[in-house]
Amino acid sequence: MYDELIFDNCNHSRDPMVGCALEGATGVLAGIKDISIVIHSPQGCSSTVSAAYDIHEIDFTKRKVACTRLFETDVIMGASSKLKNLIKEADSKFKTRAIFVVGTCAADIIGEDIEGLCRNIQPQTDAKLIPLMAGGFRGNLYDGIELGLNALLPFIKKQKEKLPNTVNLIAPQANLNPTWWADLKWIRETFEKIGIKVQAVLPHDTSLEELNNAGLASANILLSHDAGYQFGLKMQEVHGIPLILSDIPLPIGLKNTSRWLRAVGKYFGVEEKVEAIIKEGETMAIDVLRRRGLMMIPRYRNCRVAVSADATMGIGLTRMLFEELEMIPELLLFRSPVSDSQFLLENELNNMGISPKVVFSADGYQIKQSLMESCIEAVFGSSWEYYLAEELGIKFAFDVFNPTNRQNYLNRAYFGYEGMLNFLENVANDWERALRSKHINWEEFSELAKKWSL
Amino acid sequence: MVGIANESVVFFGHLSELYQLAKEGKIETKLQGSHTRPCKFWTAMKILSGIKNTVVIAHGPSGCAFGVKQAYKLTNCRNSGSPYESIITTNIDEKAIVYGGEKELQGAIFEVDNKYKPDIIFVATSCATGIIGDYVDAIVNKVKPKINAEIMAIHCEGFAGEYRSGFDLVFRQIVQLMDKPDPESKSKLAKSVNIVGGKMGPERTEIETDVKELRRLIESMGASINAVIAGSCSLEKMKQAPSVAVNCTLCLDMGYAIGREMLDRFGTPLNSTILPCGISATEKWLRGAARHLHLETEAEELIKREYEAISVEFEEAKKCLAGKLAIVEGHDAIKSLSIAHMLERDFGMRVAIYNFHPWSTQARETSIDYLLETGLDPEILITKGTLAFGKYEAMVQTENELMEYLGDLDPETTVYFGSSMSFPNIPVVDLNSILNRPRFGYRGALKVAKCVCTALEYSFRPRSWVMKKMVFSENSGLCSAQSLTPKLAQDLPDCTFYAGKERGKCMTS
Repeated sequence: MYDELIFDNCNHSRDPMVGCALEGATGVLAGIKDISIVIHSPQGCSSTVSAAYDIHEIDFTKRKVACTRLFETDVIMGASSKLKNLIKEADSKFKTRAIFVVGTCAADIIGEDIEGLCRNIQPQTDAKLIPLMAGGFRGNLYDGIELGLNALLPFIKKQKEKLPNTVNLIAPQANLNPTWWADLKWIRETFEKIGIKVQAVLPHDTSLEELNNAGLASANILLSHDAGYQFGLKMQEVHGIPLILSDIPLPIGLKNTSRWLRAVGKYFGVEEKVEAIIKEGETMAIDVLRRRGLMMIPRYRNCRVAVSADATMGIGLTRMLFEELEMIPELLLFRSPVSDSQFLLENELNNMGISPKVVFSADGYQIKQSLMESCIEAVFGSSWEYYLAEELGIKFAFDVFNPTNRQNYLNRAYFGYEGMLNFLENVANDWERALRSKHINWEEFSELAKKWSL
Repeated sequence: MVGIANESVVFFGHLSELYQLAKEGKIETKLQGSHTRPCKFWTAMKILSGIKNTVVIAHGPSGCAFGVKQAYKLTNCRNSGSPYESIITTNIDEKAIVYGGEKELQGAIFEVDNKYKPDIIFVATSCATGIIGDYVDAIVNKVKPKINAEIMAIHCEGFAGEYRSGFDLVFRQIVQLMDKPDPESKSKLAKSVNIVGGKMGPERTEIETDVKELRRLIESMGASINAVIAGSCSLEKMKQAPSVAVNCTLCLDMGYAIGREMLDRFGTPLNSTILPCGISATEKWLRGAARHLHLETEAEELIKREYEAISVEFEEAKKCLAGKLAIVEGHDAIKSLSIAHMLERDFGMRVAIYNFHPWSTQARETSIDYLLETGLDPEILITKGTLAFGKYEAMVQTENELMEYLGDLDPETTVYFGSSMSFPNIPVVDLNSILNRPRFGYRGALKVAKCVCTALEYSFRPRSWVMKKMVFSENSGLCSAQSLTPKLAQDLPDCTFYAGKERGKCMTS
């Protein structure tokens, strides 16, 4: 079990660590190919939509977004004709097969009938129009992801038959790994090795055809502990596709990876193939660590650490840190409420026999306070936690999650065997940076400096 | 320029003619309905992020606060070594939208006062709370006597004006926080100036920025800087700001709003010139400041000293440039006008500004008036791509149009001042590159001259086909390099991006 921390002075004010529902919803849409987005909003919301595209690192040539740029008069008088004209313009210029017409706070509150408008002008447009109300006040990023996923439902065709050994992968973008699409790639490649076909990814670089055929999959796997669970259940209910593996952590660290792979193997009856992958992966990881990691890992033994992450990364990472690297996860700071994954978290902590302090929906203030009041020696978090740690005098802060200053130009997974090594490499580099003096003591080296004419 | 009568041309003439057409409503001045700029809320936040020990409470859903936190506060921390900076939201939900969010706001103010102990709390409204009509002013007035921090409401709903209006609103309003000068405070700051019209918080610590160069010049003259408003200034420095000898504008447009307000309210003299890019503008800027500081002699000595330090290299470079044609990219209106001023006055070049959006004629009225009054009236070329659906900054249409007009121009006699992500067949000088700074002052003039000489020297090298393919891939008709991915955005000139791209627009834009 865990000890949930409660804070004074946090009932009305938040220092947010995640975006709003608009960012979540458009983040889902950004993962679909052949579509464009028309937002009915003041111009600033287009920055939020850009951020959603950034999460997927969508090539800038493929972003097709238009904004009605609502002003005061529009808010008072309504701006249906403005929206109508923009949809038509977007239809003729973008030439995409579908346009998602998204209402944000302003349009949502003034009650613009986006649904009715889309219905009325549908005969005049080539693209299929999909209305979606996603005012920021409808929730946080994770709520928005559910809204966005729901908007994809009409594209999924009902299928009586299911294709054996096929899966849909759901919502990986609720993931703090700044290069998360490498996680997705690892899963795709691993599935290919064991003979399981990925029917559709919901959503990342997903075509409308893939979406259409998603109903043929024989299982859905959710690659998040923060969002998409409700959608998974809905898919189960509407399309009869079971949501599997949601009761175990994602494949982060050696043990979690083998657990996750074995669960896949068992469900699809490919245990032998899975065992081969596990054996090969563990051998490789231990072999690399024997040569390159032994000097690194003992540094942290029994180090009391904080993990400030989303549940997707955080739950899996806790076991890796505790069991495989012998650290003590004393403080867990989750950015989401973890409500759909709470049982999983409890089971994991009980199973490991640890009772860390935990904060759900942690904001900046709560993270700072908790770090200040704990005896933490190292922090695993984003660049924000990195700055906080610096301010609080915590020497070791590992900048491993989004938003991050670390520039991994090539995508590198955190999932799987190489993923564990990628993660540890970042940690090792941050350790070295923490100990490197930023000021050269020239006096101490003055003789040398003279000799070298520096 | 060749083929100037082509059907792609929307306007070709002088700035004064464009200005007149725009005023008479004879040319389209609205921005396209795609890929828009940040809103009033964002621009207001950009200024407020430059005031130290401030907490902004964004009264609205979390997204507005989160967006600016990521864009501005993270940048402040990253580049300037400043501590983690919080930005607060009342995080209102559907219930608050229906029943009002006033209770949340009041609670948040007390909490923030208690938690962060800031010098000042700004309560910024968002679209949502603006529309539902929460009575923010009443709440602010009610809690004022009960909290330790000073407090001010900023009405910056995203729908309530163009993005530019957020800058002006905050600059005019923060003047209310300032103390009236008295003889004692005036005598204390008789040799001090404020640089006004700055934004985006602390400056980068590791490079030579334009503001640092202005600071150096002012200090070399024997005066000091009281505050850069608003760029890492404290409330205390802001309070005493009206007592300085003179306010010097950083950016004429931005600085004019606050400078004028301080002049009207407190009589603080205003030295407002165009951006001090190059020798001629810098001298005007310095002499304008010196007059109010009574340091005219010192200023003349400084001007002489500074010029002497660069004269040999500068004069040499000038020989290569005089009489050549300069095409200046007009996307960043203020900067393009200032660069045009420098190129003509300091280097004796003929200047044409390419794709200066007609919208800018309204938004940048102050600077245009100034330029025309000083007798400068550059040529302007606007092509259809500028007004088309898409992003005019770097889309393939404007690029092709540019090629069409520049294709036959002689690389020996023409220089393009713009983004490295444009590919004309003439020497390209990108003054937004972080390595090409400072751009202000004498050292800036020399830096520009050297950049031009390097571009001319290597004009024999064809532009990188790899880079061109990256920026203008197939079927990229509506794309813009302004939407580059964050990884790429990290290493590109910081003036090229805004919002989610983790960098602010140039601090002088």
